[in-house]
Amino acid sequence: MNFRAANTRKEMSPGAMAILFSAPAVLIIAATILAPFLMAVFLSLHNWNLKRPGRERFIGLENYSDWLSDSDFWNPLGTTFTFAIMAVVVIVAVSLLISLLLNEKFPGRGLLRALLLVPWAIPSVVNALLWKWLLNPQYGLLNAVFFELGIITEYQNVLGSMPSVMIWLVIAYSWIHIPLATLLLLSGLQTIPDDIYESAIVDGAGVGQRFLFITLPMLRPMLSIVIIFEMIFALKVFDIIFVLTAGGPANATNVLGWQIYTETFRKLDFGAGSSIAMLLGGITLALAIIFYAFLDKGVER
Amino acid sequence: MKARARIRLAVIYVSAAIVLIGTVGPFLWLVSSSFQYERQLLNRPPQWLPNPIVLDSYREIFEGAVLGEASGVPYQSRIFLRSFANSFFVAGSVAAIAVLVGAYAAYPLARLQFRGRSVLLFGILASRLIPALSLAIPIVLVAKKIGMSDKIISLVFINLSFILPYVIWLLQSYFKSIPMELEDAGRIDGCSRLQVVHKIILPLSLPGLTSAGILAFLLTWGEFLFALLLSESPASYTSTVVVSLFATDVDVSFVSIITAGVVSVIPPICFALVFQRFIISGLLSGSLKG
Repeated sequence: MNFRAANTRKEMSPGAMAILFSAPAVLIIAATILAPFLMAVFLSLHNWNLKRPGRERFIGLENYSDWLSDSDFWNPLGTTFTFAIMAVVVIVAVSLLISLLLNEKFPGRGLLRALLLVPWAIPSVVNALLWKWLLNPQYGLLNAVFFELGIITEYQNVLGSMPSVMIWLVIAYSWIHIPLATLLLLSGLQTIPDDIYESAIVDGAGVGQRFLFITLPMLRPMLSIVIIFEMIFALKVFDIIFVLTAGGPANATNVLGWQIYTETFRKLDFGAGSSIAMLLGGITLALAIIFYAFLDKGVER
Repeated sequence: MKARARIRLAVIYVSAAIVLIGTVGPFLWLVSSSFQYERQLLNRPPQWLPNPIVLDSYREIFEGAVLGEASGVPYQSRIFLRSFANSFFVAGSVAAIAVLVGAYAAYPLARLQFRGRSVLLFGILASRLIPALSLAIPIVLVAKKIGMSDKIISLVFINLSFILPYVIWLLQSYFKSIPMELEDAGRIDGCSRLQVVHKIILPLSLPGLTSAGILAFLLTWGEFLFALLLSESPASYTSTVVVSLFATDVDVSFVSIITAGVVSVIPPICFALVFQRFIISGLLSGSLKG
């Protein structure tokens, strides 16, 4: 009975159904990502400053050429790269170590893995607040710990000077990014079959050799993913800068994300802001492609 | 041999202890600080545990919300609870709508053969490659023009589009893991495709839908850039914005700032620990926090 009903009812074609089902999602994404993106391209080709209304005009690539000959682009770019490289190295190194630990079987492993979600769940703004308190020049816990251990003889204002501000910024930023990288690397480690290690042990390979010649090569696909994603995230860092350093001291942590923010929403120069944001987007995309090609080739070999 | 096993365990537990301190230590210190008197926070060396447990800063937040200016507490403390409710509204709405809209979009991507399938999937994912900062500029401009700035409904809409690609990706991979035979059986019993989705796919995907909803809630809860740029008054501030107002104000007492930080992470941390299994499986099936 039912069977016949299904056969006689006119069924929608898969294509029509796909359009109908995905329409709400596609419309939302188009309205808030595609349309603004096209408009950002449009703005970047215009002189568009909200402080001087009525003077908007098309200027072609002038915003871009202005940035490319301006130290206000190159200096933040250098700072962004410094930050991103340090952050990726710290995040990947620490999460690799933690994932190796969690790949061992020991009582309490599940609890430790669950607790990794604590830093992960902390919003970046609250993380910045937390580290502002930990690093407080007069009352910060880290000052107290280092002082009591005799590592420093007086309390330091680490956020007040280079290079300490960059180092601590990277540590604070990495703290909430390490958990996800760890979980991803751990899932990569768990796909490596045990018998490869066992036969390596039979062949007399030590811990170091097994890590270098089995773990690292087999983990390479997941490592590549983690490196690429962490790099994309680190290049657009903004939230923690807003709360922790505001680009200071003396522009030492003025990354491109912060430069875009001040240019657009403080100086209200939407044209210049859009063009520098496009440059950051282009650089990020180019690096992601280069990294992907480079890291991926190693996998196939 | 036995000695070796003991050494191995010792190395493991020493490293585990270091990881444990590094993972929860900083946050526990924030919690401990929030229960102390302001003057105790200025102690050298610091007081590790609150003694006595002081709830003044927590009371401030409630008094400020109820009494307003009459309470005499800082401006940020007075508007904090409102922003907390706003965060709940935004993150909750985004999670519910994203799962609903995302599930329908994910089904054809997972199960139907149609022209343009891979283009659609790639397009949805690629939309996340565009940096939010470059989108923020036109979005703020348009929102101000059409009077949608300073409204939390705008935040729901914007967050939705950033969350949807993750949710769709996660759900389509989850749908793929459901055996095709179950769907075929339903079809033979006379279900239409829509009935197959409603009666077979969605009920079987409850764990996947839960993961997606929780991730959507957590990612939206922590969002800062658009919350900052699209809000102009306490009516639309989310908790991350008020936390940033606290953290960048030198005139507010440390303990008030710290307490705001602690309260604003109670929902995400509780969620994360209660639903850790769902979250870990959701994260590992290809969704990333960005």
